[in-house]
Amino acid sequence: MKDNLQLTDVSTVEGQMVSIDLDNIPKLPLDMATMPWKPATDEQKNTTACILDDVCVLNIPKPKDRAEEEELVNKFLDGMRKLFTTENNWPFLPMLETSMDYCAQCNSCSEACHLYEMSGEHEMYRPNFRSEIFRRIYKQYVKKEPLAKWRYGDMGLNWKTVVRLGELSYRCNLCRRCAQTCPIGVDNALVAREIRKLFSQELGINPRELHEKGTMHQMKVGSSTGMTPDVVKDNVEFIDEDYTEITGVGIHTPFDVKDADILLLHNAGEVMAWPENIAAFSLIFQEAGLSWTLSSKAMAYDGVNYGVFYDDAQTARIALQHMLAAKELGVKKIVIGECGHAHKVLTVIADRLIPFEYQVPRESCYVTLRDIVMSGKIKLDPSRNDFPVTLHDPCNIVRLMGIVEPQREIVRKIAPKFREMPCNGVNNYCCGGGSGFAIMTRNNIEQWRGNITGRKKMQQIAEAFKECLGPETRKYICAPCSNCKGQIREILEHNDLYSKNSFAYGGLVELIVNAMVNVNPGFIKWESEEE
Amino acid sequence: MSTFFYLLGYLAFFGFICLAFLKIRSYMKASPLHARWELYPVPHEGEKSSHGGSFMEEKDWWCKPRHVSHTSDIKALVFEVLFLHATFEHNLKLWFRTYPFHVGMYMLMGGIIIVLFSLFLQAVGIAPDNGFMIFIGNVINAVVLFGGLCIVGGGLALIHRRMNDEGLKKYTTPEHYFNLGAFVLFGVLGLLAWACSPSFFNMARDFVCNMLSFNFQPLPSTFFTLHLLLGFFLMAWLPMTHMGHLLMKYFTYHDIRWGDTPTTYSEANKQKIPDMLKYSASWSADHICGNGAPKTWLEIATTNPATPKSES
Ligand code: SF4
Ligand code: SF4
Repeated sequence: MKDNLQLTDVSTVEGQMVSIDLDNIPKLPLDMATMPWKPATDEQKNTTACILDDVCVLNIPKPKDRAEEEELVNKFLDGMRKLFTTENNWPFLPMLETSMDYCAQCNSCSEACHLYEMSGEHEMYRPNFRSEIFRRIYKQYVKKEPLAKWRYGDMGLNWKTVVRLGELSYRCNLCRRCAQTCPIGVDNALVAREIRKLFSQELGINPRELHEKGTMHQMKVGSSTGMTPDVVKDNVEFIDEDYTEITGVGIHTPFDVKDADILLLHNAGEVMAWPENIAAFSLIFQEAGLSWTLSSKAMAYDGVNYGVFYDDAQTARIALQHMLAAKELGVKKIVIGECGHAHKVLTVIADRLIPFEYQVPRESCYVTLRDIVMSGKIKLDPSRNDFPVTLHDPCNIVRLMGIVEPQREIVRKIAPKFREMPCNGVNNYCCGGGSGFAIMTRNNIEQWRGNITGRKKMQQIAEAFKECLGPETRKYICAPCSNCKGQIREILEHNDLYSKNSFAYGGLVELIVNAMVNVNPGFIKWESEEE
Repeated sequence: MSTFFYLLGYLAFFGFICLAFLKIRSYMKASPLHARWELYPVPHEGEKSSHGGSFMEEKDWWCKPRHVSHTSDIKALVFEVLFLHATFEHNLKLWFRTYPFHVGMYMLMGGIIIVLFSLFLQAVGIAPDNGFMIFIGNVINAVVLFGGLCIVGGGLALIHRRMNDEGLKKYTTPEHYFNLGAFVLFGVLGLLAWACSPSFFNMARDFVCNMLSFNFQPLPSTFFTLHLLLGFFLMAWLPMTHMGHLLMKYFTYHDIRWGDTPTTYSEANKQKIPDMLKYSASWSADHICGNGAPKTWLEIATTNPATPKSES
């Protein structure tokens, strides 16, 4: 394995190219153990091309002979050519081309990346590492520019380069913090996403959690969780019943109300994993007297659209179904629940993919909730939230949509001990689960999230609560995004930080309900209180 | 020989214009309408830009008039170009090297504008020995000295850093050294021409005047001639390299990073979306075209690949 990693190593090194030494990763003030990499099994080694590092996301089958090796390279090149045509890539081609042509190789973006920092500044995690490999291949083999090797640097292209580049596109959270620092306007996150697209759209290679179990499953049964329309309605009914009892307020979540003002689009994962979030939304909207509904139409009860992480076709298909469901109901707007990527796909990306006549206006739930909280429509007692609270900024909503203040206005009003994390707002760091990793756990992905991707967020959290760390003081991490919660939960659970540090985590709506005077006290639960 | 030299000058100038035009045209042609891919803070969001906020922070934003502060965009871009603010903030060590280099180039570019201005003054009747013209001459002579020193110093410091910083070294290609070396040489020749002639300004003014009046007089200084020859080359070469960011930064910032116009507010974009969906894609994965014929994006977006084939 390489210590002094060079760009060209992706095409030359035999076997696993890199292993991140866990002794080099920064120590945190929280009691967090590193998670040793599990060695690959012999079967994995023989059948799967896990040759980048200790992690394996794509499970690309190892080519059996030279013909298969060549086939892989040729298909990759076909895909790369397509990626640079208007017909195949009109939504992203201008950004891709400028990112190919104008990078000054100044490395100003490296320090911005939490993966680079938390891997102990490993070369492979420079945001420009994968882009530069991709760029060199493009200049040398696709554009075939004269003097390409001299001008842009050499890059061998063989099956190992292809496989490693595919994997490298999944060593990034697509958080675009690096892009924010680039003086030229080059976007390494975009390049990572374009590589993912090439693999998915041309070679049919993608992580199964995002494709088979994600977008395909959503298009087959209605939700990536596997819930069919009937199941989701039943589950929500149970949630209503349970939380009516818990809160002492009768909750009724409406489905398919024609001509309601609002279609609320949840991430269906909330129904399964965080029912309190569903209940809290219903309770707030109901008590505020809004005219609103959920949809039971397949796909439209799940705001998830994993396509945005890896595939334009899947993105467009799901976004279109979301819009059509809202049109069918005749609602005035779609309010997107606490799910970052759902926010960005439907509000920003779909805005120029879906013909305008099929569009329904989209609003962030943070904005709707701010309006409710500030209007005085619900009675709130901030002293019920008399514990330290910090706020995580989901990249998709904050850096990529500029929705920064509404959630802060709410938290400032209802949580007297609110404190910001260092590097907040548009300068935030990703939770570590961004771009689909929050739902992946195999092949050392869980270890990777614990050791590297999620580490910076935990450092920020520790910093925010630095004067009250330890089990004595209960603390609340407000992470109003389903995927971010999944990632944070994983780290808290694995390190037993619930009891060691009295952390609870959850969304914005739970914090609001916790302060509602007509609700039984103690909506937010800490581990010590749970039976 | 001197005619050939001047021809090279015209060639370089028109080469630069043509290449710049081609670069911009290729950017525009890449897509008549790209997806929104904005990144906050966006300066034209007015007061909200101070916290990185956007119009999407407003309830029912699509019902409100859209306010875009173009002056804030221009201010932010000018600030970035003049001070290399992003590099200052995120890569200070590099900034100390690259900023003088850029300042040197800005000064020489500014110098050309001042020389043109002096010719204009001359054309409207102000004598070359007028006090103001002498002042301009002194300014140009100072600008060339300072700008040349900045280019040489900054360029050498950048080369040194690229050779010695372990991180940068890996990403540095022979072309980087060639480009930086060419600029350093350009600066050195300029300084030599400055040092060996009584007035750089007079040489520069005469040269520009000759170019404009098609008067192909030989130049008085070898260093100045070599300085210009290398300048011609760099002018034509620059847009073909990553340094073309000089031209494209406007688009990467203004059109991509800050390009947040929602379709609600753009009749042109409303018209364009259906046209975009008529493009035929030929992606080979099973869930798109498989081995079949290309499909339009409209067909792709309205097919459900998870439906069993007989049902679709
Ligand atoms: S992406 Fe931008 S910041 Fe990073 S190396 Fe390239 S030019 Fe520098
Ligand atoms: S997008 Fe985020 S995770 Fe990916 S390289 Fe940039 S900063 Fe790192």
